[in-house]
Amino acid sequence: MFIKEYIKEVYQGVSSLLKGMKKTGYYFFHPSEIITQQYPDNRHELKLPERFRGEVVMAHDDNNEHACTGCTACELACPNGTIKIITKMDLTPEGKKKKALDTFIYHLELCTMCNLCIEACPTNAIQMAQTFEHSVYDRNKLTKKLNQPNSKIREGVE
Amino acid sequence: MMPASAIAFYLIAAFLLITALLSVTGRQIFRSAIWLLFSLLGVAAIYFWLELNLLAAVQIVVYVGGIVVLIIFSVFLTRGSVQELPTLKKSRHFFALLAVISGFLFTVWCLWLYGYRQKATDAVVADIRTVGKQMLSIEAGGYALPFEMVSILLLASMVACIAIAMKLPDSKTTNTLK
Amino acid sequence: MFSFQQWAAQIHSFLLEKTGTYTLLIECIIIGILAISLFAILGLVLVLMERKVAAHIQIRMGPNRVGPAGMLQTVADTLKLLMKEGLVPRLADKFLFNLAPFLVMMVAMMLLAPIAFARGVQIWDINIGVLYITAVSSVSVIGVMMAGWSSNNKFAMLGAMRSGAQIVSYELSAGFSILCIVVLSGSLQISDIIASQESGWWLFRGHIPVLIAFVIYIIAVTAETNRAPFDLAEAESELTAGFHTEYSGMRFALFFLAEYINIFIVCALGATLFLGGWMPLHIAHWDGFNHLMDWIPSSVWFMGKTFFLIFLIMWFRWTFPRLRVDQLLNLEWKYLLPIGLLNLLLVTWIAIKGWHF
Ligand code: SF4
Ligand code: SF4
Repeated sequence: MFIKEYIKEVYQGVSSLLKGMKKTGYYFFHPSEIITQQYPDNRHELKLPERFRGEVVMAHDDNNEHACTGCTACELACPNGTIKIITKMDLTPEGKKKKALDTFIYHLELCTMCNLCIEACPTNAIQMAQTFEHSVYDRNKLTKKLNQPNSKIREGVE
Repeated sequence: MMPASAIAFYLIAAFLLITALLSVTGRQIFRSAIWLLFSLLGVAAIYFWLELNLLAAVQIVVYVGGIVVLIIFSVFLTRGSVQELPTLKKSRHFFALLAVISGFLFTVWCLWLYGYRQKATDAVVADIRTVGKQMLSIEAGGYALPFEMVSILLLASMVACIAIAMKLPDSKTTNTLK
Repeated sequence: MFSFQQWAAQIHSFLLEKTGTYTLLIECIIIGILAISLFAILGLVLVLMERKVAAHIQIRMGPNRVGPAGMLQTVADTLKLLMKEGLVPRLADKFLFNLAPFLVMMVAMMLLAPIAFARGVQIWDINIGVLYITAVSSVSVIGVMMAGWSSNNKFAMLGAMRSGAQIVSYELSAGFSILCIVVLSGSLQISDIIASQESGWWLFRGHIPVLIAFVIYIIAVTAETNRAPFDLAEAESELTAGFHTEYSGMRFALFFLAEYINIFIVCALGATLFLGGWMPLHIAHWDGFNHLMDWIPSSVWFMGKTFFLIFLIMWFRWTFPRLRVDQLLNLEWKYLLPIGLLNLLLVTWIAIKGWHF
């Protein structure tokens, strides 16, 4: 019936609008829900969300070893050419030649924090760190070398 | 010294006349519409001055809020509303002047016929109840018939609007138009 | 207990003594100054309130740097707007371009006349108060269209046309809801309408039909003041800023101010019609309770109700998404108008039968 449909429509419209207003009204009357971080004021007790992405870092363990094989999967995955992997040929103890990471160049100024490189890495060598105070006076300082000097690949990572 | 109300009257009248003149002599159609708006507001101001509040408000609702908005809308929808209108031919000026003068004479004649008599009674207070009663009264001096006529007219135009705007999905006319 | 009525009477007699015939003129000037300062204060307060409400609804903090808790933010904004250059586009119709913001502002000022702010505080208790407000508010659409046309900008023009269509159609529904109360109280005069709510506000006394009228009124005036969810006239994502795209500096500020003044006025009218204006909350035959309520000054009642309605409208704005043009017109012509008409009939029936409390 036309009239029945009409009334049903009005009822549904009104009730869905009220539902929305209930939610926003709840937020209005509960200031504890506010998620704004008053950043420079609370710099020391800043609470960042778990998935916040600040920059790409490469983890090194106590022996100055990382897990990067130099496979360039991250370089290929990056949509805007932020990563440049320079590889070298290492000699394995058996005397075989093996490709290894020489320099991991990371252009922070180009990175959009899209996380694609981290997902592409087969060995979980790189991670997203939560540091975000990146401003510097010289643009060149944003081009970083992620592997530490004299670091080498961890034993057993292929 | 003139009383304040007379000063107010002459100010309003001057405003009305100037805006009315500007509205008919303007070369830009949108500006003319705006001047028309102001002259209609001037008429409303005269009504307010006469303390005919109801009439003044109705003047604003009907003419300013309705008619002028419609006029402005149609100006918007016309192309070339930005350009100036061409100046008229000389012969047209003559006829326009003739029309204006005859209209003026007609008004003067009407006023003459009315002949301002001294009123013995006080002015009627346009109480909203009296207006409402009068509007629907069927006795002498009541406005029931015009009121109903107007409502029928409005109903007819509304039906016509719906008929124009309605989509007829299966009718043959729309098919042939395609 | 303090009351504006006494002050007004004292000032009046004082002036009459000192200046004689010029009393009226001086009183007019005083009222003009009061009205302008009210506008300025309202603008500052409402803009701040809007930003704070918006922030809290969106789980943010809102302005909190200028002054204590950000209270002076809008003052700073106004100063900034005053300093800015008022640009006029080269091919704009200069005269109309400059006139439009003043027309909008003038209309807002004229609307202030019949509003009753407290017991006995009313500039002009005209006998057709409500009709006067509906009539004069219909002029503001012309200011908007003037602004849109004279800017010589397509966005501005589109915004103006949308705004025109919107205001003209929603005026009807607002009118019907106002008529409901006029029918119940039997008068167009604001003071009569308030007096008729001595024994209770119409919202409570008029059963469900008045409640429906109230809802329709709130929806319609939200649309009439061009606020979200009906802000198609200035939809930022589609039309940059709609009819005031080309305006900057103080001219823009006037539009901005007029928008908030209009919100205040429609909410004040809503409070007057449905919530009794300055009339305290009275319940028939509960004399003790009524006396208790009378202790709260009438101006506090009026402002409280008005700001409650303003809050409601802001709540709408920050909750609902914007409507599409066809949805907007559907809502008016297919839902609000028929329901409003039917509702008016019901209310009239109730009024004739005397069924209201
Ligand atoms: S986060 Fe995205 S942009 Fe940044 S380096 Fe990784 S892939 Fe490139
Ligand atoms: S970081 Fe991961 S993906 Fe990139 S080169 Fe090293 S191992 Fe390959």
